[in-house]
Amino acid sequence: MTRTLDVRIHNDLSEIGTVRDALDNLASELGIPMQALMALQVALDEVISNVVKYAWDDGARHEFLVRITVHPERMDLEIFDDGREFNPLSAPEPEPPAAGQRPKPGGLGIQMVRRLVDGFSYQRVDGRNHTTISKTRAVGPAVQGSNT
Amino acid sequence: MNGNGFSINQARAGNVCVVSLSGRIDSTNANDVMNELTRLIASGEKSILVDLGAVLYLTSAAFRALLVATDEAERQAAQFALCSLAGHVRELFEMGGLLEVFSIHSSREEALKQLG
Repeated sequence: MTRTLDVRIHNDLSEIGTVRDALDNLASELGIPMQALMALQVALDEVISNVVKYAWDDGARHEFLVRITVHPERMDLEIFDDGREFNPLSAPEPEPPAAGQRPKPGGLGIQMVRRLVDGFSYQRVDGRNHTTISKTRAVGPAVQGSNT
Repeated sequence: MNGNGFSINQARAGNVCVVSLSGRIDSTNANDVMNELTRLIASGEKSILVDLGAVLYLTSAAFRALLVATDEAERQAAQFALCSLAGHVRELFEMGGLLEVFSIHSSREEALKQLG
């Protein structure tokens, strides 16, 4: 059985919490393994915060859609926004820092998403960005029925 | 509703200011962490230990906050270290290539021995 949940949020970082809580609740209800949930939560935060920060630069409030789909074998998180065209997959891997230097803050996020999820894709469709991240429901202890 | 169980607490152990973080550190609260750490450094703290033992996960926004604090501590000649990385929190550091970037101690006791 497949379950789909649409969450509409605005370009405000604090609203990422709404998606995070929705994913938690769904994971708890469906017994998603904790490890997979955590990986998806970290990836979700990165991809959605990029949309919130960079998709629009007019200072106005914009709404966009986050669709969570739980398949028997994997979870998909799709983000549809009508902001400027941006392919997160085209973001370069951060340059390795020079010897004895710290990496610069920034550039880390997309690299982490690539390593955390099993699928990461992007399409520009009808003037909208459509970014999808997928995580296989690996075997592991299920999330307990709690939101904390 | 705040569902992330996030908190920042401070305690003092000798000369070391211990900042305990808990819950999820993500883009909704990473700025709070950064502001608190940079405030402590600016206030003249010379040894700051961030205990991550109760952290569920960190996103790249949290790593950015810790990197900014590390740079700021260096500018102010302060010691800045992390301790108590649980299994998958450590994995996230590893994924970001960050295990060598920070000064990391296995436990609070171990860290205090070195910093104190």
